[in-house]
Amino acid sequence: MGNMVCPNFKVCVTPQFEVLTQDQRQQIYFGALEILARTGAQIHDERTLELLQQNGCQVEGTRVYFPRALVEWAVAAAPSYVTIYDRNGRPAMYLGGNNVYFGPGPTNTFHLDPFTGERRKPLKTDKADVARVVDALPNIDYAMDLGTPSDVTSTLADVHAFDAMVRNTEKPIVHWGFDVEQYEDIIKMAAAVKGGLEQLARRPFIVLYSESSPPLVHSKEAIAKALYAAEMGIPVIYTPCVMAGATAPATMAGTLAITVAESLAGLTAVQLLKKGAPFIMGGVISIMDMSSTILSYGAPEFNLLQAALAEVAHHIGLPVFGTGGCIDSKVLDAQAAAEAAQSILLSALSGANLVHDCGYMEFGSTGSVELLVLDDEIIGYVKRIMRGINIDDESLALEVIDRVGPGGHFLGEDHTMAHFRTETWFPTLCDRRRYDDWVAHGSTSLEQRLKEKTQAIIRGHQPRPLPDHVLARLDEIVSAAEEREAAKAKKRR
Amino acid sequence: MSNFESLSKAVIAGNVGQAAEITKNALDLGARPMDILNLGLLPGMAVVGDRFKKGDMFVPEVLMAARVMQSCMEILKPMLVDEEVPSAGTVVIGTVKGDLHDIGKNLVAMMLESAGFRVVNLGVDVPPEKFASAIREHKPHILGMSALLTTTMLRMKDTIELLEEEGLRDKVKVIVGGAPVTRDFSEEIRADGYAPDAASAAELAKQIVGFSVSS
Ligand code: B1M
Repeated sequence: MGNMVCPNFKVCVTPQFEVLTQDQRQQIYFGALEILARTGAQIHDERTLELLQQNGCQVEGTRVYFPRALVEWAVAAAPSYVTIYDRNGRPAMYLGGNNVYFGPGPTNTFHLDPFTGERRKPLKTDKADVARVVDALPNIDYAMDLGTPSDVTSTLADVHAFDAMVRNTEKPIVHWGFDVEQYEDIIKMAAAVKGGLEQLARRPFIVLYSESSPPLVHSKEAIAKALYAAEMGIPVIYTPCVMAGATAPATMAGTLAITVAESLAGLTAVQLLKKGAPFIMGGVISIMDMSSTILSYGAPEFNLLQAALAEVAHHIGLPVFGTGGCIDSKVLDAQAAAEAAQSILLSALSGANLVHDCGYMEFGSTGSVELLVLDDEIIGYVKRIMRGINIDDESLALEVIDRVGPGGHFLGEDHTMAHFRTETWFPTLCDRRRYDDWVAHGSTSLEQRLKEKTQAIIRGHQPRPLPDHVLARLDEIVSAAEEREAAKAKKRR
Repeated sequence: MSNFESLSKAVIAGNVGQAAEITKNALDLGARPMDILNLGLLPGMAVVGDRFKKGDMFVPEVLMAARVMQSCMEILKPMLVDEEVPSAGTVVIGTVKGDLHDIGKNLVAMMLESAGFRVVNLGVDVPPEKFASAIREHKPHILGMSALLTTTMLRMKDTIELLEEEGLRDKVKVIVGGAPVTRDFSEEIRADGYAPDAASAAELAKQIVGFSVSS
């Protein structure tokens, strides 16, 4: 076998699937360029308007028409992959190509209490729990807040959420902010952790995302925040949330073209401000369910659109923000598991880079750490599929097959010892016990085991703390932000 | 007779051209406008409402049926005396200050229009003062406020307080909605009603107007 040559032998170690051909990806991209040139977009930020006009966009009031070549220039100017580090400065994610990483989602309105089962408003302590759970889970690569804390100054919910997370996980943090001022606070805090803005920009462990308002409107905050973060050297995600049939055409193709156009408008502004700034293309895209009027996080169209978006991003050479591990179900039931599993598998197969929204229940209204723990299990399963089947002399194992011969067994073989642990995936939640054994262990359901595991992590896992002087600095930054907001509130009254 | 049935069917099918043609033909043949309305258009809309609730029809189809109804009403209006024109009333609606979420509020507005209300849509990011001045200008029966952010839903309270200060509060019924808004919250801020989705918002508005007419 070893000396054999097998011409044109196709090695496929990471399974993939494709929903669009190369030509179709090109069509979507051209569609997006055409939208930006012909229909243009509304941009509500003076500085961005000036920047775009100076560089050849046609600007009429707030309406901007983008020359095709300018957008193509911006696509080429942005790096095709972005490295994100952990809090300790080690590379943690190489966002680009078909590399896939998973994490939770941001800003849910409600929190599913993992102890009481109550759906309630999120608290700051929940954000600390989310971060610790993220920190403990082997298949969750970065943190997001999974809910807007309601027990803090409302205009600083973002700053407090970051404060709670950065103290409780060493993994990278993907975050957001209401406006540029809060971005300043958050970047200051991240810089404090790294010992300076320069160090932070060299090895960013945070990514900041903002969102346009489809169709084709860019609010002042959204675009100003993206430009500010890029200026500070922080990688940005610019991500519209698009609803087929409501804020986009009912057809998948038209919806994709609008989504890409939204993100590329942000990209163009960012690259004009700072050529080469790390930029991650985004888009949470699904259908509006025409019965309930929700934006569905569990629909087949959602999965199809997210996969197609990843393919278009690959085609034009930009890293992409994916979406998966999220559900429409209100409880952790069979629907929940089916929806979560589909989207995790499909985002992995499509090679989406920074897959977020694990732990999103009730189409994003509620955040759940239990679902996050379930997602971690599913991701483990999917990662095993993605590792594929390795074929070489050792793994084809003809020697040992010949040695054992007909009627023997492989249990006692060195070859088995050497490989079974790495070849197979070991579940932590899915039950494979024999019936009697399962009964002896309490006849538990997945839901019960999930609750137990989640609670155990929250009670037991503690990441390495930040040094005292950094913690003190974080306190100072939060206090200063509080003072600023209090002064603003006073002025308003 | 069968004309009315086919008119109902055209409403259900969302066929503007056909419905308008049947309406004109019926008028030419001497049908009474009130009969066209009560025996053709409204029964059609009733079926649409029913089917939507059962999940057999969907939002775009409901909106299309409402459009058919409205275009036929345009034909009938000149022939009806004012009291006969079914107008549920006027609603001023907007998304509160600091909030840019548009679609939910627009859907509520469309459903209200479908239910026969005249809707003044103030858009997004609407400060309390703007709601107040729109109430002075349009004298609506109902003020509708939408908020999708936990942080902006408090602006609903600010608006209601401003209306109280300016002596406008008892001139309108206030209804509120949006993902973070709950019935408890709506009671806390002394709103008159809360609806979880667009269809129930239209139901609620009809109920409110019914009450205020009779009381
Ligand atoms: C008058 O009486 C009534 C009665 C009923 C009423 C009513 C009034 N108003 C609504 N209803 C009810 O009837 C409607 C129809 O049935 C329903 O309206 P809905 O609006 O619920 O339903 C619509 C038909 C469809 N749904 C929607 O349109 C909202 C969908 C989600 C995904 C959403 C979207 C699309 C957007 N967003 Co935003 N966004 C989310 C939403 C998450 C979710 N899953 O719901 C939510 C609401 N967003 C959120 C956030 C945080 C934000 N968003 C932001 C921005 C945006 C976009 C602009 C990108 C976009 C809106 C685009 C647009 N043109 O409107 C930002 C804020 C911008 C701002 N200042 O407003 C930003 C802060 C994000 C950021 N980091 O910048 C979260 C809110 C969390 C919180 N509790 O505060 C959020 C729940 C997402 C999440 N899962 O965390 C009912 O609520």
